[in-house]
Amino acid sequence: MFSRLQTKLTVLYAGLFALALSLVAVTVYLAIVGNAQQAVRKELTATGTVFDRVWALRTQRLHDGADLLSRDFGFRAAVATHDGPTVESAISNLRQRLGLDLAFTVGVDGEVVGVDPAQLDLEKLWTALDSGDDAQGVFIVNGAPYQVISAPIMAPSLTGWVVFAAKLDKREMRALEQLSAIGLNAEVFDRRGDGWITSDSGPGNNSMAAFVEGAIRDKTGKPALLKVDGEDSLVLVKPLKSLAQDGAAALVLRYPMAEAMAPYRPLMAGVILVGLIGAALVAAASWALSRGLARPIIALDDAARRLQRGEDVRVEIQTHDEIGRLADSFNLMAAEIRQREAKITHQALHDEETGLPNRRALEREITARLSAAGPGEHVVVSATGLDRFTFVRSAIGYDLATQLITQLAARISLIAPDTFIGRLTTSTLCVVSTQDDIEATLGRIEALLAGLEAPIRVGGEMVDINMTVGIATTEPGGLDAPGLIEQSMIGLDQARAARRKVMRFDPAAYGDPSGNLSLMSQMLDGVGNGALFLNHQPKLDLRSGKITGVEALVRWKHPTRGMMRPDLFVEMAEETGYIRALTDFVLTQAIADQKTLRAAGHDVLMSVNVSGRLIDDADFAERAIAQVTREDARVCFEITETAVIGNPDVALGVLDRLAAAGIPVSIDDYGSGLSSLAYLKQIRADELKIDKAFVLTLEAGSKDALLVKSTVDLAHSLGMKVTAEGVETREALGVLQLMGCDIAQGYFIARPMGVEPLTNFLESWSIELPETMEEPKVHSA
Amino acid sequence: MKFFATLLIVAFFATSAAAGSLTVTVRGADGKPVADAVVTVYPGGQPTKGPIKFPWPYRVAQQNIQFTPFVLIAPAGAEVAFPNFDKVRHHVYSFSAGNKFELKLYGKEENRTVKLPTAGVAAIGCNIHDQMVGFIRVVDTAYAAKTDASGVATINDIPSGAVVARLWHPYLRALKNEKTLATTAISGGASRESIAVELRAPAADH
Repeated sequence: MFSRLQTKLTVLYAGLFALALSLVAVTVYLAIVGNAQQAVRKELTATGTVFDRVWALRTQRLHDGADLLSRDFGFRAAVATHDGPTVESAISNLRQRLGLDLAFTVGVDGEVVGVDPAQLDLEKLWTALDSGDDAQGVFIVNGAPYQVISAPIMAPSLTGWVVFAAKLDKREMRALEQLSAIGLNAEVFDRRGDGWITSDSGPGNNSMAAFVEGAIRDKTGKPALLKVDGEDSLVLVKPLKSLAQDGAAALVLRYPMAEAMAPYRPLMAGVILVGLIGAALVAAASWALSRGLARPIIALDDAARRLQRGEDVRVEIQTHDEIGRLADSFNLMAAEIRQREAKITHQALHDEETGLPNRRALEREITARLSAAGPGEHVVVSATGLDRFTFVRSAIGYDLATQLITQLAARISLIAPDTFIGRLTTSTLCVVSTQDDIEATLGRIEALLAGLEAPIRVGGEMVDINMTVGIATTEPGGLDAPGLIEQSMIGLDQARAARRKVMRFDPAAYGDPSGNLSLMSQMLDGVGNGALFLNHQPKLDLRSGKITGVEALVRWKHPTRGMMRPDLFVEMAEETGYIRALTDFVLTQAIADQKTLRAAGHDVLMSVNVSGRLIDDADFAERAIAQVTREDARVCFEITETAVIGNPDVALGVLDRLAAAGIPVSIDDYGSGLSSLAYLKQIRADELKIDKAFVLTLEAGSKDALLVKSTVDLAHSLGMKVTAEGVETREALGVLQLMGCDIAQGYFIARPMGVEPLTNFLESWSIELPETMEEPKVHSA
Repeated sequence: MKFFATLLIVAFFATSAAAGSLTVTVRGADGKPVADAVVTVYPGGQPTKGPIKFPWPYRVAQQNIQFTPFVLIAPAGAEVAFPNFDKVRHHVYSFSAGNKFELKLYGKEENRTVKLPTAGVAAIGCNIHDQMVGFIRVVDTAYAAKTDASGVATINDIPSGAVVARLWHPYLRALKNEKTLATTAISGGASRESIAVELRAPAADH
């Protein structure tokens, strides 16, 4: 209901006090009302009793007078003899003497003397008088109630009655009211017709009339509460004897409660005033108290919100109660949160080993510099790689290697103080700077690199270091931070590949790596739709002059990009894992093409290139062997020597299995890569293919000719045939034949071609070869 | 004596020739016999002409502070005696119209007489003793009698023919304390009538 604690407390306390006070006030009021009512009831009852006595006394007095008169002999004589004037004078005399309102005689014959008979209901009066001796009671004369007393006149028999009447008027009632200790109101009601009326004030009000009627009927002799003219009154109804039998009259004593309450009014006012002052004080006090209580809570609430927003907060509350302790705890908590946050932030932005900023911190820095860079300014990111770091690390240990990185970073920061240095990878530092002139910067970096490569002292020893730097730059609005870092790393790789110390990222060389994967899937599509196909390059047997084999070369005619360079997509397939699918296709297609050629009457050995990535894949070997055997194909697997180096045990085992299955193996591109005589010895190959780099420049007497000759001899001595690639001239062919080379392959003989042209080629092939002097010596391994 | 004898003979003849008697029995509303009720008969509805003489003395004595008898029937113009047998004095009066009199204080053994000239009622009282009340029924017919303690009154020798018979009692609740009886004719022999009347209670403290 209330959102503020202070309001809540204030309302609660003030409300409680007001409630308690109201209860007290109500109790006091009820007690007072009860008390006052009790007092008034007593007084009313007492006044009623007094009235009874007064009534009786007056009745007696009137009766005495009437009796006296009725017995006077002269009066009786006058009445009996109908001496009207005498009777009237006698009555008038007594009326004045007794101070009566009315005095008259009524004869048994109905004759009235002393009052105008028209003023009263003679028949009712006569009946009442005749019904008994000494008839008395209230009777209406001339519209007003009178107390009527009668006495019979015996002369000596009943001659008539002396009637005395006293008016029950206001004056009479005032006299009665004055007998009471309290200022009550007395009225005489009499029943006329259906209702009760009081002659003083005309017809009485309805509630009063109904109340009198009820009281008379129920004979309740006790005061009761009644609302008269809108105010509560205590009313006592005392029935009065009526002279006429069918008449009824009552004395009604009434006392307004408001008057009874009047003496207590100052007391009630006092109670209410004191209550209001008290309530105001309580409200003010609770307001102040709750303010004291709520203020620190509000401060804490505010502080908690600010803490949530990450602000540095401290609540100053100097009390020693629960709230004070809460504030202390809050401050402690806030401080610890700040510490932890700082630690987490530091951890999030720094390398744990060296304490240098990490990649995330670098990204932030780059982003910050990019947004701060002005026009013409570039953000330069230099990925500075420590060469051969794994060797260094295994030589000097992890701790010292880490120290090495740290010191190197310190050295860079010393010579290039405006830069921001972080650690990108284990062996790579990243230097971020903002520059105007990129070319000059590149030069400067190369110049500085010499100084940086000075040996570093770690653990008491001097360690030689070599570094390569890959650089990426961008202007604001260009690359974002992660892109920039990525390019610098690629630049580093490119520099290393190019064996350069410093190199800027070369987007042309990098190509589009993200396109590679989609290219590969397109290549697989090509397997099905014929975009991928084989061209075969014939291999000439230099001894027989016949085409004894072909090398199956894969070709890809891309639907939109045209002919794809084989070295490009084959290498890509090797790197992305698609090489196996590609090789499967080549092998299957080669076997199929061989069948086509066989059908045309040409049985040639199919040479298929097998990637180094597959040669140590035993599973591939099993399936290839099974396929070749099943199809009864004659296939030679061409592999490179380096393929064996990666995992020699498995690779050599696979080669053994191929040999056992009768599948010849050819060592491809011999001499171009790393050639190991040790492996050459172990590989059970049938053929050695000399790389075309040697053959293309083959001239008599050159170093290459020497190498080729010795290689031919070497192969022959290891029991292998020798194939020369790249034979493009008749001269080269001649030289090779002279050197004892067994097979030649190259443009001079034929370019690679499809199966159909090949069939035609084989049909029409003939060549004149000079006779060789000696048979080649072939030794089995 | 001769006078008496003559009267008796006349009466006898009258009776024997054409006369009857009327016996009236009066009872109250409670069924008890009412004494001191006076029955008067007017043959032909006319008062008796000539002097009237009743066989009882015209005397109301005061004895034990009471009038005795309570009711006396006397003919109009008769002299009624008021002897005092009490030791105290009495002051007898009547305010009744036509028969007003006052016998001022007189003592024991004194006898006063009053002539009551008018037919009607003389209510007599004593000015000294309020409780003393008596009535003299002054009649103008010879045929009158009052009921005895058993409530019976008999009038003999009423000439046959139409009559007006009336009943009076001091406390009879009727105009002038009088009622007309049902009997309207007397034939030879005895006529009888019973009547129930309502009486007003006499004033208690008198």
